[in-house]
Amino acid sequence: MTTTTKRRGSLARVETRQALGFASPALVGLALFTIVPVGLSIVMSVFDWPTFGDRTFTGADNYAKLFTASPDFWPALRNSAVYTLLYVPLSVALSLVLAIGLGPRIRGRGALRVLFFIPVVVPMVANVLVWKMMLQPQGLFNGIAQGWFGVSLPNFLADPFWAMAMVVAMSVWQGLGYNMLIFSAALEQLPDSVLEAASIDGARGFRLVWSVMIPMISPAIFFATIMTMISSLQVFAQPQLLTGGGPGNATKPLVMFIWEQGFTFGDLGLAAAAAWILFAIIIAITGMQFAAQRKWVHYEH
Amino acid sequence: MNRMRMGGVAAATGVALVLTGCAGGSDAAGGDGDKPTIVVDMWAGSESDTEALEAQVAIAQEQNPDVTIKLQTAPWGDFFTKLTTNMASGNMACITGMSGAQLGGYTAGFRALSDEDLATAGLDLADFNPGAEGIMSFEGELYGMPFDVATMLVYYNQDLLSAGGAATPEIGWTFDDFEQIATDATADGKYGFGMGMGAYQWMSLPIALSGTQPAAEDGSLQIDSPEFVEAASWFSGLVTDMGVAAPVASASDTGWGETQYTGGNAAMAVDGTWNATGYLDNESGFAAGMAPLPAGPSGNAGPILGSGYGVSATCEHPEEALKVLGSLLSKDAQDYIASSGRSYPARTESQPLYFESIDEEHREHVQSVFESAFASTVPLYMTQNWAKLESYIQPNLVSVYNGQTTMADMLESAQAQFGN
Repeated sequence: MTTTTKRRGSLARVETRQALGFASPALVGLALFTIVPVGLSIVMSVFDWPTFGDRTFTGADNYAKLFTASPDFWPALRNSAVYTLLYVPLSVALSLVLAIGLGPRIRGRGALRVLFFIPVVVPMVANVLVWKMMLQPQGLFNGIAQGWFGVSLPNFLADPFWAMAMVVAMSVWQGLGYNMLIFSAALEQLPDSVLEAASIDGARGFRLVWSVMIPMISPAIFFATIMTMISSLQVFAQPQLLTGGGPGNATKPLVMFIWEQGFTFGDLGLAAAAAWILFAIIIAITGMQFAAQRKWVHYEH
Repeated sequence: MNRMRMGGVAAATGVALVLTGCAGGSDAAGGDGDKPTIVVDMWAGSESDTEALEAQVAIAQEQNPDVTIKLQTAPWGDFFTKLTTNMASGNMACITGMSGAQLGGYTAGFRALSDEDLATAGLDLADFNPGAEGIMSFEGELYGMPFDVATMLVYYNQDLLSAGGAATPEIGWTFDDFEQIATDATADGKYGFGMGMGAYQWMSLPIALSGTQPAAEDGSLQIDSPEFVEAASWFSGLVTDMGVAAPVASASDTGWGETQYTGGNAAMAVDGTWNATGYLDNESGFAAGMAPLPAGPSGNAGPILGSGYGVSATCEHPEEALKVLGSLLSKDAQDYIASSGRSYPARTESQPLYFESIDEEHREHVQSVFESAFASTVPLYMTQNWAKLESYIQPNLVSVYNGQTTMADMLESAQAQFGN
């Protein structure tokens, strides 16, 4: 008994050392590229930190300044909120509909899935260019509207309301394929026996989907919702390229505000403070979602 | 045996990691052997830009055999972001390119050049275009010397003008001529003018019309002065009132007017002399021409702009850097820039070579327009928060062109926010 414990102890120690040796490159990378910069940004957020010049400690001044004296911060918060509230439900719902629609008996569903996934892998710049060309007053939509219907469409990207709507529309179109694949994978794993039993009991069509299929793939829906919400709170490329944050600051989300403060205006302390506020928001929302999951997510045990 | 092999693999990985770290580090450290390395940091938009820069660096290298000169480039859009990062980490290249317009935000990184510095570099202000020292100066201090000078012109598409029966812009034309030509050329879905979104492109006509500038010589903002507001309102009225220009599609279309022009949708656009040869040999194949800015009641003073090189404040070899600076702006390097037609050199004696690089059929036209335009230029004054001002104005300009706010309101709120 004693001998076995001794051997287990020394073997465990040797294995621990070997494991540490293998993990050390990743740990070093994690420390250098994640932990140290994150720590540095916490420090930055309590300093007045211009890119070039003297750095002075100012405590919570940056945070106070954001909420009271920065003309773009509250609009950025509002824009991020509007974008998230519009984008997440639309994206998740449409992807779910698509995934259910591309059920196992549809012919050519492999090819259709590829087609839906292409916008996800095409570089964002290419997507934006095409959408811009379609949306401008001399572009496709206005051309069709004027030519076929004699109606003049508004200048979408220059109108405060329509610009945000179009950014959301383009993002939904671009991100559909990704969530659709997640849901398709989850749907394919549903046990046939359960679905057959349900249809024998009289559940068909919408009832089958709503009361049987969706609860069974709720873990996948939960995952997709959380990831989509996090990435939509961090959106940057679509508004930056499509509308430049305009008109005015109507489509300038929080990450664009952070980038502008940090790199165009050179106020790194303020940018770091805004970044931590974003972090707090994301953690709070994710925490709430995790708490709520007990109500609607059914895990197989 | 197994344990030793695993330990060996772990050790090899560790060594490899350390080596890659070392290799990355040595690039940034000093030069090879004992020759100091001077790094030249400049923007380059295309392969031909990079080749041109390498040729200039080769000229400087020949003149300075006791240093090693290294060139590093970045696209224009990224250059200033990278420069900000480099300044913050103390990695600014000894010789850094800077556009006169952006200088205000970066003066902290540059060495203020004294008369002795200029003497070390072998540069004499008298050899350069009059007013050239104003390009790289800010609030009274000289932070570099320009390698090129530029001003704004009105480029026109002769084919579109003829199709609309409009007259051709000529040297000495007035704003009334401009309005007439734009109105005549607006026909069949084409517009007479392409609205500018970039700072130079949109400000030039109001500056020429009003004879005032958005900023004063001492660096204070006066963008809400009544004369400038009136001229700027006339400018935005080209879209909203006169209908001779298309509304801009999006705030991220920085080159809107110029793209409309090259795409054959607008007959005229304002752009800089640096694009003269580009427009003359345009890919669409239309007959292009240029004219100086139209003249208002106070003349047609356009802004003289330029880009230059400066020495960083943190350079470890300032003497050698100054000499390299002098070489980059020497007669040979300036002759090279001029004869390749890339830009109009700042050094006066090299300027005639620029015209010789232009096709014979355009040469006289370009020469007469350039000489007329540069005869009436004024330095463009800027404020210290010019970058912030520009990033506020551009997205709001879209709303002005779309008729949702007035130019007067926008300029007044810009003054309120940035004019302390």
